[in-house]
Amino acid sequence: MSLLDIHNLSVHFGSEKHPFAAVDGLDLTVNQGEIVGIVGESGSGKSVTMMAMMGLLEGQGRILADRLDFDGKNLLTISGRERRRIVGKDIAMIFQDPMTSLNPSYTVGYQIREVLALHQGLRGAALNRRALELMEMVEIPAAKSRLEAYPHQLSGGMSQRVVIAMAIACNPKLLIADEPTTALDVTIQAQIMELLVNLQQSQNMALIMITHDLAVVAEVAHRVAVMYAGQVVETGPVEALFRHPAHPYTEALLASIPEHSKGAERLSTLPGIVPGHYDRPRGCLLSPRCPYVQEVCRADRPALLQHGATAARCHFPLVAKEA
Amino acid sequence: MSTVLSARDLARYYEVSQGFMKPKATVKALNGVSFDLEAGRTLAVVGESGCGKSTLARQLTLVEAPSAGSLMLDGVDVTHGVQKDVKALRAKVQMVFQNPYASLNPRQKIGAQLGEPLLINTTLSAAEREEKVKAMMARVGLRPEHYYRYPHMFSGGQRQRIAIARAMMLNPKIVVADEPTSALDVSIQAQVLNLFMDLQDELRTAYVFISHNLAVVEHVADDVMVMYLGRAVEIGSKASIYSRPLHPYTRALLSATPSIHPEDRQIKIKIQGELPSPLNPPSGCTFHKRCPYAVDRCKAEVPELRPLEGQQVACHRAEEIAL
Repeated sequence: MSLLDIHNLSVHFGSEKHPFAAVDGLDLTVNQGEIVGIVGESGSGKSVTMMAMMGLLEGQGRILADRLDFDGKNLLTISGRERRRIVGKDIAMIFQDPMTSLNPSYTVGYQIREVLALHQGLRGAALNRRALELMEMVEIPAAKSRLEAYPHQLSGGMSQRVVIAMAIACNPKLLIADEPTTALDVTIQAQIMELLVNLQQSQNMALIMITHDLAVVAEVAHRVAVMYAGQVVETGPVEALFRHPAHPYTEALLASIPEHSKGAERLSTLPGIVPGHYDRPRGCLLSPRCPYVQEVCRADRPALLQHGATAARCHFPLVAKEA
Repeated sequence: MSTVLSARDLARYYEVSQGFMKPKATVKALNGVSFDLEAGRTLAVVGESGCGKSTLARQLTLVEAPSAGSLMLDGVDVTHGVQKDVKALRAKVQMVFQNPYASLNPRQKIGAQLGEPLLINTTLSAAEREEKVKAMMARVGLRPEHYYRYPHMFSGGQRQRIAIARAMMLNPKIVVADEPTSALDVSIQAQVLNLFMDLQDELRTAYVFISHNLAVVEHVADDVMVMYLGRAVEIGSKASIYSRPLHPYTRALLSATPSIHPEDRQIKIKIQGELPSPLNPPSGCTFHKRCPYAVDRCKAEVPELRPLEGQQVACHRAEEIAL
């Protein structure tokens, strides 16, 4: 059984009369000890999916799903009290900007101890010991003195390590990292990614990695889901998806990375932009930008179907070209 | 080939307050950088945040006067020249900023913003200005009706096109682009990079392209300068820097950059720790605390930039550690 099982999730914003689907019919499963990457451009619904699951959209978005199960519990129907017991303990999240996800008015030690006291009921010396242990686990030098530091006294990379320490404090079963390295320099990014993967392996956590950087996903993930305008357009194992993308959007996304067209005069591009809130096409969402578009693509929206090693949402999936 | 930009030992120091009644400290944000740039070529400046990339951009665009060293732009000595000549230079050096959401005036129509450089620096009539603006808009891929729109009506990629058009209005000799694509999605980034290169082919503009993304740099640059804590540690042609990096820092940077090929996940050259504080830089080679090859000499002696195998490198042990 999967640890996380999402089936046909939609998140609607706006009025009942003119709803806007930020996420539209999303399916995703994550198994224990697995690293799943979710990639997509801004506005594709990556973060909204995770926030819906964490229950962070209350009052703003309407969440509809056939199934939204975590570890055998239905996240759609549980009470707020039960949800708070799971979120922060069994599911933990790391946000993009470490500078804004820590409270500037408290020391980092206080903020780590708060998590432990709330979810695990630790007190006194045991609490301090565990907080120090966590700081050492995320490889913060001079951990003991850093417990008394305020967030503004730490660099971006150090702050992100503190955020990770807070996230893994209760040994979560699922860790969601939302663009964890986007705000960091490339050498620090490499350090943080290595730390995350090591922790994932030693704790046997499931890790969902949300990012717009395909290279980060290629380096660490086992499976990938590519999102476009609120839908998963292709999903599959990393190697297969990167070598033989079946969906034209995945192909275009890979081709537009500078690394891909080494030595070429110009980068290959996908013309146009992601469709906005209210101008989504009736047929396939990519149809106005797709180089292979046919009549049927403009009329009918394709379903996510298995094509070879990956599943893609396309009427005319690209055939694997054996090199 | 004509050299349009020549910097010799360019330096910029800032005085920072340490607190009430305490002496002011000096931050050497830019500490002796020398390079030349020819018309129609691109120099990429890479490095982590805090290495002095943006300080360099501010000196090159005459926003600030350098503290020491000399700077020649299009044959005019900026540091020791006559005020009148320096003023005339401002039209020849233009800048494209990182965030197109902040660099355009929200209260002015696009036509007015693009026409402003002409209004200030030329004696063209209103009708002539409009004609020139529309020609430039067509060149960067904007439609004529965009002339009457406000910045909020455009997407990020379109705004960056507007910013590029504004920089190109006066047909500058040099364009300094400070992280021009890091706020954009990959598919839009590819479009903007192509535009930069097309404009360079047409207008023979020299670019100083500041970026932390080595994959982007590899695509656009002719020459690459790697900076660390206010100094250039390696300068060379793109081909030689990427195929045979000589400085340990360049190597670590290249190795830390994630690759999109999942099959060759490789062991990274690890560099420990973070960028030291520029208020209190390490003695000798500023990189020695993070360098895996550091010896006693590196702690005592500052390595000068010296020619080696067609490149320039600032490392005592470059020959020994070369592979």
